[in-house]
Amino acid sequence: MAIITKEKSPDRPAPLSETTPLGWLRINLFSSTFNTGLTLIMLFIVYLTISGVFAWGYLDATFVADKRRECYDNSLTGACWAGVIAWLDNIFYGRYPRDELWRVNLGGVLLVLWMAPLWMSRVKAKVLVGASVIIFYPFLAGYIFTGGDKSWFMQFMVSGAILAFIINMLNMLSGLIENTSFAKFLFKLSGQVEASDKTQRNLLYGVLFAAFIVIFAIQSSWTVTEVSWTKWGGLFLTLVISGIGIASSLPLGIVLALGRRSKLPVVRVLSTGFIEIFRSVPLITVLFMATTMFPLFMPEGFFLNKLVQGIISVVLFNACYMAEIVRAGLQAIPKGQFEGSHTIGLGYWGTMGLVIMPQALKHMIPNIVGNIIGLLKDTTLVSIIGLFDILGMLRSISKDIPWLGLHKEPLVFGAILFFIICFSMSKYSRHLESKLSAGNKR
Amino acid sequence: MKLKSKLMTLTAAATILLSSGTVAFAETTLETVKARGHVRCQVGPPSPGYYNLDAAGNWYGLDVSICRSVAAAIFGDPTKLEIQSVSSQARFTALANGDSDLLSRTATWTMSRDTQLGIDFLQPNFYDGQGFTVRKDSGITSALQLKGAKVCVTSGTTTELNLTDFSRQNSLSISNVTFDDYNVRDDTYLNGGCDAVTGDKSSMAGNIASFPTPADHMILPETLSKEPLAPAVRHGDNQWADIVRWTVYALINAEELGVTQANVDDMLANSKNPNILRMLGAEGNLHEGLGLEKSWAYNIIKAEGNYGEIYEKYMGGGEQGIGIDRAGSLNALWTDGGLMYAPPMR
Repeated sequence: MAIITKEKSPDRPAPLSETTPLGWLRINLFSSTFNTGLTLIMLFIVYLTISGVFAWGYLDATFVADKRRECYDNSLTGACWAGVIAWLDNIFYGRYPRDELWRVNLGGVLLVLWMAPLWMSRVKAKVLVGASVIIFYPFLAGYIFTGGDKSWFMQFMVSGAILAFIINMLNMLSGLIENTSFAKFLFKLSGQVEASDKTQRNLLYGVLFAAFIVIFAIQSSWTVTEVSWTKWGGLFLTLVISGIGIASSLPLGIVLALGRRSKLPVVRVLSTGFIEIFRSVPLITVLFMATTMFPLFMPEGFFLNKLVQGIISVVLFNACYMAEIVRAGLQAIPKGQFEGSHTIGLGYWGTMGLVIMPQALKHMIPNIVGNIIGLLKDTTLVSIIGLFDILGMLRSISKDIPWLGLHKEPLVFGAILFFIICFSMSKYSRHLESKLSAGNKR
Repeated sequence: MKLKSKLMTLTAAATILLSSGTVAFAETTLETVKARGHVRCQVGPPSPGYYNLDAAGNWYGLDVSICRSVAAAIFGDPTKLEIQSVSSQARFTALANGDSDLLSRTATWTMSRDTQLGIDFLQPNFYDGQGFTVRKDSGITSALQLKGAKVCVTSGTTTELNLTDFSRQNSLSISNVTFDDYNVRDDTYLNGGCDAVTGDKSSMAGNIASFPTPADHMILPETLSKEPLAPAVRHGDNQWADIVRWTVYALINAEELGVTQANVDDMLANSKNPNILRMLGAEGNLHEGLGLEKSWAYNIIKAEGNYGEIYEKYMGGGEQGIGIDRAGSLNALWTDGGLMYAPPMR
């Protein structure tokens, strides 16, 4: 008479309250009279809000109309999305000539394609890809957006950019297909895998040079019509300003942070002074200073356009915040790391570039992304210096005669757009964090 | 001796620098504009009737028309123009520091602005005045009945000060409800947050037209202030001021003489009226004093029409207009009892 059986008795199913939705509801929402009351009140509030928004934004809303009066004729209480729809080109591209909008789109597509390899684990030479984006893309995009005649320098840089883009795409393909870098793939194709380094290098440079000559010849006959910066606007302008702001404020911030921690008194005082002055004034003051006071100090005939003034202000202003974030990151690195890298014979730049920064930057990511999101939203302030960025355009709808007074719908639309952009940035930063901190997981 | 020669060199260098500075200053605005190839005309952030963006991204409005007229007078082409939209805090600085050639926006011509800011106001192209909007069913028919009322007003403008003055003067104890954005101000009024709205009568007419039921609201007859809205230029360049001033006069005179965008070619070829012929450049040499082409006034009217046409298009009942009645208002021609009066062109 054995009580102990050899077989394990089967698991009993989890109690109903753990598995069924009803049980979940009971535990989490209706566990006591008080909680039940709270739940019901909250449900009612949620219902009121959602049904109100839904009725305003969809059920009673007008999507097709030529002017606001037609929306009113349709419904006095619903939203009038027709105005926002009529203004979509203005909201996205500003006053950019309607026949040339493909150029803005092309610039955006090029950037996405150019950056795409950075996300692909099989692609090699990511540092080169990243560097080529920062060095060459601005010139190519700058030319595509502005147009007109190219100076010799521009011709040179545009050719370089096109070459870099093509190599980048080939590198991506060879990475995806052959799991190797473009250079290695080239050597394999030409049967030079076993050749000496020198032969390989000569072959690579030869190919690049020949391609550059061909591209230079082709691009010299390629021009697009000139579009003045005064016609830039909408989301496009917002992204241009914040894009340049993001790309240049981080490097500048690193320099400033290193300067502030420097042992050289002049460098330290200058960096500290710069950071403190720009941090102590509101961005709006910097913008006003740049656009209205700056021309007064400059010699007669010196003219810097408002867009450049706005961008410089945004960059300088944000570089200071970046500098403080970087400094905080640097301070989190234990002293042993500095001493360790000195012991193995690294100098200042070696220590910073190879040991300290890679660790520090990882810690800074949440703050940096927070700052970048802030920057994106701050750029809407340029609408007060007369640039029609996305907010400027959204606010202008209510002044256009057919849509006179239509101001809620554009702002709601703008809020949705901003949410999408900012939320995807913060999502990406979380992804980046978890990827970079893989070594820290316990 | 050595020191002296050094000083001499320094002085010479300074003189050269200074004189080259004067040469740069001596260039007139007209020369600068012609060399640049377009007029830089300053307006403000979009404001219904005066300067707006349409869905295709083009500027339109009464003040934009003045900009286009000046461009047409100088280049014969109204599109040789860069419209600058400048916030009202920076408007006079942007004109004084040379960013803009001309300010054509709803800037009220006041003595302090004209005499203290280094700018000159020219011929007004619109006479505005502050008034009140109320609901018709409130039974109020005069601003003097607004005793103890809550009045919505946008902050930081003369509008707010005028309201306070008016309330004190008539001991009405009006309480101001201030807003930054006039759309929010109007929404508050529509939702019953205040008994009346105050603002410039022209813009309020436009705003009422955008209310759900315009027929339920009305503008009270009282006018609180004088608001002559005039283009302005930098102080000191009289030729440039003349060009802008006479551009506006040409628009007004053309209306008085019956020259329109449609009949201007016919008038130039067939008119027997010497006033018209002189204005359009068929006779005389009125253009010489301005330093413009003989056909300057013709180009203006060909491009933009006369003042009456422009008014109808943007301030009146036109497709892009805000629907303010012109008859009997200050903006009618002097022959109809208004203030639009231009000196003769001869």
